[in-house]
Amino acid sequence: MGAVVTGSTAVPVLSGTQRAILAAYTELIEELGSDDVSYRVIARRAGIAERTVFRNYPTRVDLLLATAAWIEATLFAREESHSIFDVPLAIRDAMQRYDARPELAHVVAETAMRGVNGAAPSPGRAQLERLLDAEVPSLDPAHRRAVIAALSHLDSVGTWVTFRREFGMDGRDIADAAAWAAEAVLDGIRDRVAP
Amino acid sequence: MEEPVDTATAILASAAVLLRERTFDDISYRALADEVGISERTIYRQYPTRAHLLAALSNWIEQTCFPLPPFVTVSDFCAAVHQRFHAFDASPAYAYVGARASAISPTLDTEPAYLTRAIEAMLDVAAPTLNRRDRRRVAASLRYFSSAMFWARLRTGLDLDAAEICDAFDQAVSTVLARLPEATWARS
Repeated sequence: MGAVVTGSTAVPVLSGTQRAILAAYTELIEELGSDDVSYRVIARRAGIAERTVFRNYPTRVDLLLATAAWIEATLFAREESHSIFDVPLAIRDAMQRYDARPELAHVVAETAMRGVNGAAPSPGRAQLERLLDAEVPSLDPAHRRAVIAALSHLDSVGTWVTFRREFGMDGRDIADAAAWAAEAVLDGIRDRVAP
Repeated sequence: MEEPVDTATAILASAAVLLRERTFDDISYRALADEVGISERTIYRQYPTRAHLLAALSNWIEQTCFPLPPFVTVSDFCAAVHQRFHAFDASPAYAYVGARASAISPTLDTEPAYLTRAIEAMLDVAAPTLNRRDRRRVAASLRYFSSAMFWARLRTGLDLDAAEICDAFDQAVSTVLARLPEATWARS
């Protein structure tokens, strides 16, 4: 079993208080079906003073970004792929995980799409590049970029959101369609691995 | 911009103006109320939560700033998407609002976007004998690669410009379509 990867940007070490805040907020998002939860309610759930929440996360954006990173690193954490050709399996797996926690999946998807104020939209990119370069080093730069772009796009919670919202797919069909598309991206390079 | 006909639209038009100088997160209902010249409470009545405002703003921006050229063939589809990605590059703040709105938990029973329907119609014509499952997988993939999310991810996460994003899009489309059996393509 591989180590758990949390993306290229390491999640900062959290204090016990911070973990309690993020866990409380995460629970509330799932219960209420919205990230619009007041600091007072979060503090009460975490069993701390509202002021402590503000001291750790001065703005809602700070809180939301920290929570999304925490959710990705814990609830949506995944096994590391050992080959670029394992990525479709990892994607299939991830989609099923998103489907089990829809509210949290939306929160993670949204924070990644905020532009400069948001989370890194392709946290797994460095990992994908490592795998691709190790196995298929002969790609020209444009082709390599296109493969990385397509795979990091498919290997994201945005896939789950879009397939569900625009096509009404259930978790199984989303996992299947996303893995299928990732296999399509890899089809062109299957026979080009380094000896 | 022409005179908005109703309060709801006036709010969106003003929000779009404010988006030129600050992010969506930094547009408070108070500032928006001042900009439109109405009370904050009127905005809450139209858009009870920021998610409602975001979704409505994104729709409005989509219609006024990023109209999608109609397409029937795959090459027209690619050309239409290229045009969109270039328009996104010219108005990144607006494009991010679109990407973000398409990621949130839907606030209303929203219809699939026009783009989704157009892709499905295109596949019906281009590959009429394709089985349902494959058609849906192809449609979903093409839809996702043509989304504002794709543009936003590649621009922020991979630092690509519109021309490079269009290249990556074209390659993604051709790899997905290459998976379809030759026989399913309509002869023209």
